[in-house]
Amino acid sequence: MKLRILLADDHEIVRRGLRALLEKREGWEVCGEASDGREAVEKALQLKPDVVIVDIGMPNLNGLDTTRQLLQHDPHFKVIVLTITDSDQVIREALDAGARGFVLKSDAARDLVSAVEALQNKRMFFTPRVNDLVLAGFLEKGHAVSRNEAPKLPTLTAREREITQLLAEGNSSKEVACLLNLSTKTVETHRSNIMRKLSFHSIRDLVVYAIKNNLIQIEIPPQPPKTPTGPTAA
Amino acid sequence: MTIRILLVDDHPIVRQGLKTLLEGRSGWEVVGEASDGVEAVEKAKNLNPDVMVLDVTMPRMNGLEACRVLRRQAPQLEILFVTQHDSPQMMREAMDAGARGYVVKSNAARDLLAAVEAVSQHRVFTALNGRDAAGLR
Repeated sequence: MKLRILLADDHEIVRRGLRALLEKREGWEVCGEASDGREAVEKALQLKPDVVIVDIGMPNLNGLDTTRQLLQHDPHFKVIVLTITDSDQVIREALDAGARGFVLKSDAARDLVSAVEALQNKRMFFTPRVNDLVLAGFLEKGHAVSRNEAPKLPTLTAREREITQLLAEGNSSKEVACLLNLSTKTVETHRSNIMRKLSFHSIRDLVVYAIKNNLIQIEIPPQPPKTPTGPTAA
Repeated sequence: MTIRILLVDDHPIVRQGLKTLLEGRSGWEVVGEASDGVEAVEKAKNLNPDVMVLDVTMPRMNGLEACRVLRRQAPQLEILFVTQHDSPQMMREAMDAGARGYVVKSNAARDLLAAVEAVSQHRVFTALNGRDAAGLR
């Protein structure tokens, strides 16, 4: 019987690359693709794949909240998180969300097949940095991981995190309501609760919070050179 | 028409995705791959491709710097940026650096083939997310 894999990444070109990589393995099949977290949850419930591979930085619903929602629906889902960064915070959140695999996107060509194999054999797969962090936490009785953390902000509920991401992505309350099948009034109430809980006064604060807490990810443009070169005709 | 293409992106999985898309076109050949700007400049010299598909954000030397070097080193080479940066400012910078085309990575599956075809014929192809920016130059 084939191992069925669901791919979730907002870039079709990345999904193509992942599919080409995974389908080289005999007995593995990409049974579906999703371009955001919400679609990933829908397709996973419908297709019941053996392994779900989710990118962290997806629009509408990020990969961490996708993982949480999937496991809430069915704790048997095996999820591998793909990420562009393995910062301590992202690692902690991925583990906390219930991911059983953690692969850096830059190393996916090397590590992803091993990660899927590990999950297929009922094991987990993490990058060496995750292993180091977990080990450090274990050796120092759980304190090492959190020692350098900034004081924690109040925890948002899953729904509040979803709404925070959508607002930070530039959606209006009305648009969020439409995406989540809620009334605008309900979204406005959530929005007020979020702002109050976090003591924020502007949408700018919310965007910064969303970036810092990996609800959305951004790519920083390269800095311009110090001595600029003049334009050249192509 | 035969087009020899050099792929430059620091993520192998993105290169793999681009490659499967490009090699679906009869006569188009991915002659090499590079993972940063320094390697791109070296490989362009050795492989003499017609078109380079180039990422912006990469280690060692970013795509904009590589583009400027290549404009001097290989003036016949056509450069097409495929990047995460969906911004008119970045597109302007890329075109000023000497690129012939600019495509946003999230739309690459839709735009890449048309873009490579255009730049290989020395035509400009630029498209941001949801905005056709052709005629920028």
